Amino acid sequence: MQPTIKHRHSLNVWSAAFLLFVASTAIAASPEHQERHFAVKGHPVVVLQNIVNGRIEVKSSKNSEVIVSSTSIADKVAIDIEQVGDRIDISASSLSSSPLPHEVEANFQLTVPEQTELQLKTQTGLIYVEQVTGDMKLESVAGDVHLKEVSGYIIVKTTGGSLVCTLCSGKLEFTSISGGAQVLQPSLTNVNLMTTSGNILYDGDFIRTGIYTMRSGKGLVEVRFSGNDSFDLNARTNLGVVDNQAAAFLKPDTHSSRRAASRYAHSLFGTVGQGLAKVELSSYSGTIRILKRN
Amino acid sequence: MQCKELEFVLESAGLGQLPKDARVHLATCAACQGFLADLNSIVSAAKSLPAEVAPPDRIWISLRAQLEAEGLIKEPTAVLEHSNWLNSFGAWLKPRTLATAAAALLVLAIAVFVTRVPQNYHPGVAKNRPAVESPRPVQSTAAASASPSSTPPVNAPSQGPAPSKAKDLAPSPSESASFTLSQAELDVPDMQLAGNSQVDASLRQNLRTLNAFIAECEQHLKQNPQDELAREYLYTAYQQKADLLAAMMESGRGEN
Repeated sequence: MQPTIKHRHSLNVWSAAFLLFVASTAIAASPEHQERHFAVKGHPVVVLQNIVNGRIEVKSSKNSEVIVSSTSIADKVAIDIEQVGDRIDISASSLSSSPLPHEVEANFQLTVPEQTELQLKTQTGLIYVEQVTGDMKLESVAGDVHLKEVSGYIIVKTTGGSLVCTLCSGKLEFTSISGGAQVLQPSLTNVNLMTTSGNILYDGDFIRTGIYTMRSGKGLVEVRFSGNDSFDLNARTNLGVVDNQAAAFLKPDTHSSRRAASRYAHSLFGTVGQGLAKVELSSYSGTIRILKRN
Repeated sequence: MQCKELEFVLESAGLGQLPKDARVHLATCAACQGFLADLNSIVSAAKSLPAEVAPPDRIWISLRAQLEAEGLIKEPTAVLEHSNWLNSFGAWLKPRTLATAAAALLVLAIAVFVTRVPQNYHPGVAKNRPAVESPRPVQSTAAASASPSSTPPVNAPSQGPAPSKAKDLAPSPSESASFTLSQAELDVPDMQLAGNSQVDASLRQNLRTLNAFIAECEQHLKQNPQDELAREYLYTAYQQKADLLAAMMESGRGEN
């Protein structure tokens, strides 16, 4: 009788200890949420260097403050935030060399004034920016970059991540090795898109006097313009083809003696409207497709 | 003197010592006194402005992009592009143990670029140039700046033809660039990069993508050396590769 009770007691102790260990491990590994507020006076500059994985989301508000919300595992990721005047520097770095990518992760949600300059850098994970006006430089290795209703001088650089830019205005520069770019309904006056193997889609108006350059080494370059546009077009490919599905709207180039080519060719010169904007499309071995939107 | 004449005097002689008749007119004319006061306040305000404000980089970037797009700086841009990627390539080499040897290679590449670029403009002249003029000083620089053990063989048999064919020893700009980047790439394969499988995989995959594209362009240019578009893509790919290798080295260094 006595040994049985002792045995049960011992079992209970071990069970409790085990449960406590499991609970403490779970608490230690659970993500920690932090939120900090920084008052600003003018147009702030927010610099975020995320050396670990994670998503960065930036939205705007009418308030003169920057709110930094982060979620990460405290003992795996170190987050440092520093404010000097209207500049706020944020960095996230790994404290361990965990082989589990999801453990070395920091997700950020920033709320900034509408007019804010952004410099964001991450490894993986989406960079999402919405309704912010100001110059921005966004860099990512494998993460995608999604921009919606942003305005300013926008520089996006990725290794493999893609860009989706919806309702953007100002100037846009995009460079990538394998990432693609989709520019939808833009009001951009200067566009420079370059990718080695990704695809490029530009679906929107060409603003008069604007300059638009789109290049892909091996990918598809597709442009969908509207009937009201006015631009000179120069499309060239080495080994691919220029698929002109808008021949009825492209007049032979009015500024030189170059003639318009047939639907499938290696190069195409033409003018839509008065030829006020300048559009240069090129691809080394990919297809260049030109369409008119309905 | 009339008001108009005083204005002319001020425009031509400035705000210094005025002629006597101008001073007489000024003493009696309220309008001209006000005009002179305005000019003085403009001059003093101008003096309080900062002497020179350096424009931000983006202004130069956009200006260059615009000039390039308009075809106004086509050739100089090509040279700038080379130096850009060489500069960025050099930036990451400095802290590496391979820096000395790589610097020698970089000197080789730059020297070859400098000596060879004019040949693009005057192919006929290039044919008459002594073939070994560029490797000789470069070799001596490399020998002076790198220890024999760490210096990669510039004229290694695998990298070039037999020494007897002296004419072929001077590599083309793209060959030099390709060689320099390949040497840098040797350090990468065994390196743990970002310590993150997803990022590592992406970096390595993109390096393979670039290598395949570079090989394709180089092959094409051997057959069509006058293809400017292909050359443009090749140089851009070199620059991207230099940037990518820099990023890979940076990731590796962060972990090491």
